[in-house]
Amino acid sequence: MNDDYLWDKTGKPDPQIQQLEEILGALRYQPKPLEIPKDVSLPQRKNYFPWLAIAIAATVLLTILAGGIWLRVRTRDNTPKHEAQVGPPPRVEEKAPLPVDPKPDSRETVVAVNKHRSRSSAPVLSKQEREEALQAKEQLMLALRVTTEKLSLVHKKTQITNPANQIKNQHRVG
Amino acid sequence: MYATANMLLTSSQAHAAEQSQETAIEVVLVKAVLDGDRDGFTRLYDLYAPLVHGILLARVPRAEVDDLVQDIFLHAFKKLHTLRDSSSFGPWIAMIARNRAVDFYRRSRETVEINDELRGSNTQDSRAAEILELIRNLPEAYRETLVLRLVEGMTGPEIAARTGLTAASVRVNLHRGMKLLREQIGFMEGL
Repeated sequence: MNDDYLWDKTGKPDPQIQQLEEILGALRYQPKPLEIPKDVSLPQRKNYFPWLAIAIAATVLLTILAGGIWLRVRTRDNTPKHEAQVGPPPRVEEKAPLPVDPKPDSRETVVAVNKHRSRSSAPVLSKQEREEALQAKEQLMLALRVTTEKLSLVHKKTQITNPANQIKNQHRVG
Repeated sequence: MYATANMLLTSSQAHAAEQSQETAIEVVLVKAVLDGDRDGFTRLYDLYAPLVHGILLARVPRAEVDDLVQDIFLHAFKKLHTLRDSSSFGPWIAMIARNRAVDFYRRSRETVEINDELRGSNTQDSRAAEILELIRNLPEAYRETLVLRLVEGMTGPEIAARTGLTAASVRVNLHRGMKLLREQIGFMEGL
């Protein structure tokens, strides 16, 4: 059998194939004009823009919301102030009579407040607060992951991907 | 754009080596149609009607083929915006044609009589109908390829490019299908 002739009509013609072509040629497609009714409108391209815009808006909103929650947890001013308390000075046994100080002891309680320290260093959180903060962080990360996935999905839909295999349910024969 | 497509269309039908140009035609024409050029779809129809005709002829009664070809292209026109890859117009419309052939039998399973429909008025037609019937009785993988080659006169590379099948698959299907058809014809003539 001459495979080349069957394949691309080159090489030595196969008489039996030629005969079949001649006989079956009677059934060949006869050109006819295509009739498209005028009321059938032209197809429109799918517009992915609204989905993209919604996804971006949702992402921004979610990020702002999550960021707000996170900042609120971080900056919550529940940290106890560092106070140095000085109690009354130890009494010295008066063995000898001392001259009486007419002024009252105004330094009986001295409170030193270090205001700058709480601003510059990390707050010391209680165990419960730390757990809350970690939980908020986890929620934020989860929200960002979900948002990233959604954006990725939208991006995939808007792009022409994998042009080699677009046809689904294609019956591959052979 | 349209003139370019027209020029490409004329040149592409000449030889199988110009298949890549044919893909370029598809892309240009599909974009033109989506941009509002109705005539662009007529060009796609001219280019792909033989393919759709061949696919249907391998599956449904001959009398139904012409109407179904029109239906399929009308459906394709309405749904063209769903085609993601413009260069896959051929495989896409081939898939529509195959699905429509399946639907045809679902809807009219009881009423179709293929053998009677295929009988032609003269000897040539009658002989053609008999051979077509033999082809239709071959395994499904070989039917379509043989009809496209022997009835529609396409070459193997053209069949591969337009249906989206690999050249190797088409070549194997042609070779094995032809071998089986020769056996069937020999058997029929021996009776």
